[in-house]
Amino acid sequence: MTKKYVMLADTIRCIDCKACVVACRAEWETPMGYSRDWVKQAEFVKEDGSPRVMLFPGRCQHCDEAPCIEACPSGAAYKREDGMVLQDNEICSGCELCVPACPYDARWLNPETNTISKCTFCQPRVDQGLQPACVQTCVGRALIFGDMNDPSSEVSQLLKEKTWVKLTTDEVNIGPNHYYYTAGEALPDEVMPKLHDRHLAGKVMENVVNPVGAIGIGAMLLTFVGAGVLKMIGRRNEVSTSENQEDK
Amino acid sequence: MNDTDQMICVREKKTIRLHWFNALCWLLLLASGFGIISGDFVRFAPTFWPELMQGLFGGNDNLVLAHIIVGISWVAVFVFFILFNFKGVVFPFLKKVLVLTPMAAFKDTWSMVVTLAHLFGLMKNTPVPPQGRYNGAQRLLGTMIIFCSLLIIVSGLYLFFGPQLLSFSENSFYGIIFRWALVGHASSVFLVIIGLIAHIYFALIEERESLEAMKSGNVSVEFIKHHNALWYEELKQEGKV
Repeated sequence: MTKKYVMLADTIRCIDCKACVVACRAEWETPMGYSRDWVKQAEFVKEDGSPRVMLFPGRCQHCDEAPCIEACPSGAAYKREDGMVLQDNEICSGCELCVPACPYDARWLNPETNTISKCTFCQPRVDQGLQPACVQTCVGRALIFGDMNDPSSEVSQLLKEKTWVKLTTDEVNIGPNHYYYTAGEALPDEVMPKLHDRHLAGKVMENVVNPVGAIGIGAMLLTFVGAGVLKMIGRRNEVSTSENQEDK
Repeated sequence: MNDTDQMICVREKKTIRLHWFNALCWLLLLASGFGIISGDFVRFAPTFWPELMQGLFGGNDNLVLAHIIVGISWVAVFVFFILFNFKGVVFPFLKKVLVLTPMAAFKDTWSMVVTLAHLFGLMKNTPVPPQGRYNGAQRLLGTMIIFCSLLIIVSGLYLFFGPQLLSFSENSFYGIIFRWALVGHASSVFLVIIGLIAHIYFALIEERESLEAMKSGNVSVEFIKHHNALWYEELKQEGKV
């Protein structure tokens, strides 16, 4: 069976030590001020008046219907069969059309490579049978990674044992493969995905250039196929008229 | 041989070779170009096409490389042709084909409309105004292709070399130019394709002689007299017919 990699984050076990962020930055040598993963804090007051902080380790959600892939003109953003959304640096131009397409803000232009960086679930490590750097280093074992199609995997067991939620809204429901355990607490608005205004050029390409181009090409083809058919009919009529005259 | 049976040479071999080289380059550039653009939001070709082309070339990076090699070869050949034939071929061609004034555009559009209407049996009583070496539709198409080609070249060079030579993270303007270059590149290509459909139809169906002229360089005086009356008068004055 094809593998399907997922990440589970147990928000109850996360202590915001940021070891995952440090491990990720060390693994991928991200520039100063940039990281492929993060921990978001959501503060609120409970019904009984006591303060509460929820911690959400985050990264690319490796969505099934990833809009970053749809926005990428060169195919640099792509999805592997095992569910990983990856980025091919060789063909990434750094045009950033994918950046606002991601409702989880997981993509950024790397100032050192001038290409887009994002979490890849540490694909080279996973391919070698290792765990992603953030998972391996997580001191509270809040992060668990694995193949959900393997019934014996830890993620499969945990998905059965507890109630996990995904960061989705009515507006943004694109099949993320990152699960969160909140012990029944509602998901705070701060961590929910938000639709961003995409680059105007990308919208013009999608909504003006391509449809108008298709209509233009279609209309021209139709016009000249029609003209060709009319010409053929005219020629046939001419031939039959001249044959009739010859017969007489 | 009477005047109307006479064939005259209207095109040099080098111009004919350039035309077919141009056609071949366009074919290769369209096939590869539509294969490069992948994401659903920006892709025009059906999904199978980028998959097929990228598979054929062993990845999109190789396909992009092939596209730019053909593109640069196309530009280089044109640049050399223009440099060595500017006075003899290019300048006279531009003078005859470019539509640069509103009045010329109006006249050419009108003759194009009448020609197209005749195809469908409409405006039968309205004759196509006498045409010069290039008819209205050819002049409009030629002008459009020249300007679109310039935009395609400039935007294409930026799309390929921009990310390699400029640091997009240092100045967001570079990325903005890239994204609009993509829009300009695609829009110009669509305009040219739309024009080429008419161009190919007329060459293959309506005016087979013009296709012959693009193969042998020769065209009958009868054809010129019928389709390009003003040019016929010019040739007569020059004593060529």
